[in-house]
Amino acid sequence: MKAAIEIESLSKTFRTRGGNEIEAVSQLDLTVDTGQVFGFLGSNGAGKTTTIKMACGLVQPTTGTVRLNGFDVQRQRGQAMRQIGAVLEGTRNVYWRMNAWQNLLYFGRIKGISSSRILKARAEQLLRELDLWERRKDPVGEFSRGMQQKVAIAAALIADPPIVLLDEPTLGLDVQASRTVQQWIVQLAKEQGKTVVLTTHQLDMAENLCDKVAIMSHGRLLAHRPIGELLDLFRREFYQVRLRGAAAAEKTGILPGFAASQENGHTVFSGEISDDLSVFDLVERARTAGMDLISVSPSEPNLEEIFVELIERAEETTGQDSGLEQGAGNRPAGTEIRG
Amino acid sequence: MVLTGTVLLNECQKRLIIMWSYRFNLVLETFMIGFLFVGISFFVTGGRPTPEQMAPALLGYLTWFYATFAISDMSQGIREEVQTGTLEQMYMSPLPSGLLLAGRSVASLVVSTSMVVFIGAFLILALGIRIPVRLTGVPVFALTLVGLYGFAFFMGGATLVFKQVSALGNLLTNMLLFLNGSFLTVERMPDWLERFARSLPSTQGIDVLRRVVLDDLSLTSVWRDGSLMWLTVHTAVFLVAGWGVFLWGERVARRRGMLGQY
Repeated sequence: MKAAIEIESLSKTFRTRGGNEIEAVSQLDLTVDTGQVFGFLGSNGAGKTTTIKMACGLVQPTTGTVRLNGFDVQRQRGQAMRQIGAVLEGTRNVYWRMNAWQNLLYFGRIKGISSSRILKARAEQLLRELDLWERRKDPVGEFSRGMQQKVAIAAALIADPPIVLLDEPTLGLDVQASRTVQQWIVQLAKEQGKTVVLTTHQLDMAENLCDKVAIMSHGRLLAHRPIGELLDLFRREFYQVRLRGAAAAEKTGILPGFAASQENGHTVFSGEISDDLSVFDLVERARTAGMDLISVSPSEPNLEEIFVELIERAEETTGQDSGLEQGAGNRPAGTEIRG
Repeated sequence: MVLTGTVLLNECQKRLIIMWSYRFNLVLETFMIGFLFVGISFFVTGGRPTPEQMAPALLGYLTWFYATFAISDMSQGIREEVQTGTLEQMYMSPLPSGLLLAGRSVASLVVSTSMVVFIGAFLILALGIRIPVRLTGVPVFALTLVGLYGFAFFMGGATLVFKQVSALGNLLTNMLLFLNGSFLTVERMPDWLERFARSLPSTQGIDVLRRVVLDDLSLTSVWRDGSLMWLTVHTAVFLVAGWGVFLWGERVARRRGMLGQY
């Protein structure tokens, strides 16, 4: 599949006022295929927004390149910018004193659309799709947060770019507005063939929407693979042992490394099987301890659990090569997190 | 060419729409600017201003208004756009940033001219001031404005890097009012202050403008006495330096990631 975004050896180091250097992004290598919904995940300060801004040509990389549909953002800026539309986090992105219609026409011309007929047709199409047509003449400042975000997204799409970068697109939106934006993201990728890159802290949303994710921490890439593969990888390691009734306190230690919790009157042990333990050992231990075993099942870790674990592992190994991309030693042979 | 026209019109349209949305403030500001002129004129003439005394002052004052508008648009305006994220959206345009900057300047010029025409007409009619219309004043005025925008680019570039520069912009515009020769003749200032005042944007332009428009001197005579040549050099220096500082500011802002951060 053709790569829409190619990032090679991308690094960004900022210098603070005190003269210290902060490496916001470190030697990032990744590709995003055309038509994919790609999720950039990470804690605050992980380097997601800096990466997005380097892709938008707003931040100059210290080293490395970003190519958008083959165009180098630094060297072929004009052509590269024609490939993207972006909504950046934490800002308005559009003029609140102007109405939705005026904003779309303004940004359309800024993006180089000189034909008034094409521009107006596109603006009408976008406003209708986003249910904003009836209120196109109201100042954006009078809109709800969700509607303002829709206008920002429409402005990013006015020139019909093949790549859309959305930095926290649902931040601060209510459930309904968030759902509309999410449906639109899916539609952009699946029906219009656009490549959508989004950063988010809402991991359930990322799990639902994304084809592939990259997890970053401290500017480094911890994982980069299709979401299904990432879930499969972790699914093999985690098990849940369900026992009838509340287990006595002294028995909660029979499964080392497992966390015990109470659920509907049952005791549930969840955890990762260590190298010297098998599923049969688990069952045996529970039986020997006189516990009433209901079930042993591989747990279904969600993206949030995987994310937390990867981040915790990275935190533990900060300052060193985290080793996670090489499988972290305790990962089954042949598994790596880079896809 | 079509693209350039589209960009210029686009920026003008945006500026006018935003200006119209602040129409109430605009009317108040216009009256304030008018009354400020009357107040200062009374003050500097000991309470007895005559239309003849006010004509050169008005020429300088209206030029100062252009300066205020240009500096505010490039420093405060850019700072606001940094905060709202619209500047980042502009920089994601495939068009050259120089073209967008030119569009922004033309838009600022159109809006400030519309206000100057209104304020000027109001003051001329209300105070009986007579300013002759002379075509020879047009190139001098144009040179003065280009120099002013050069200085505004300087402020804009500095704003991209040093976010607090807009406060300095306010100080400078107020300083210009009293040092550009609008109300206080620069020849009467102490030597050191005169030299400083003449180095500021618009001082030389106002001086030449007055001699061409009010004293009816030809362009040849102001060129021969060196004042027009000095204005040309002044304008060229401000424009080149301002443009250079703006490009520098852009580069630094991109390197430090400050186009969308406050």
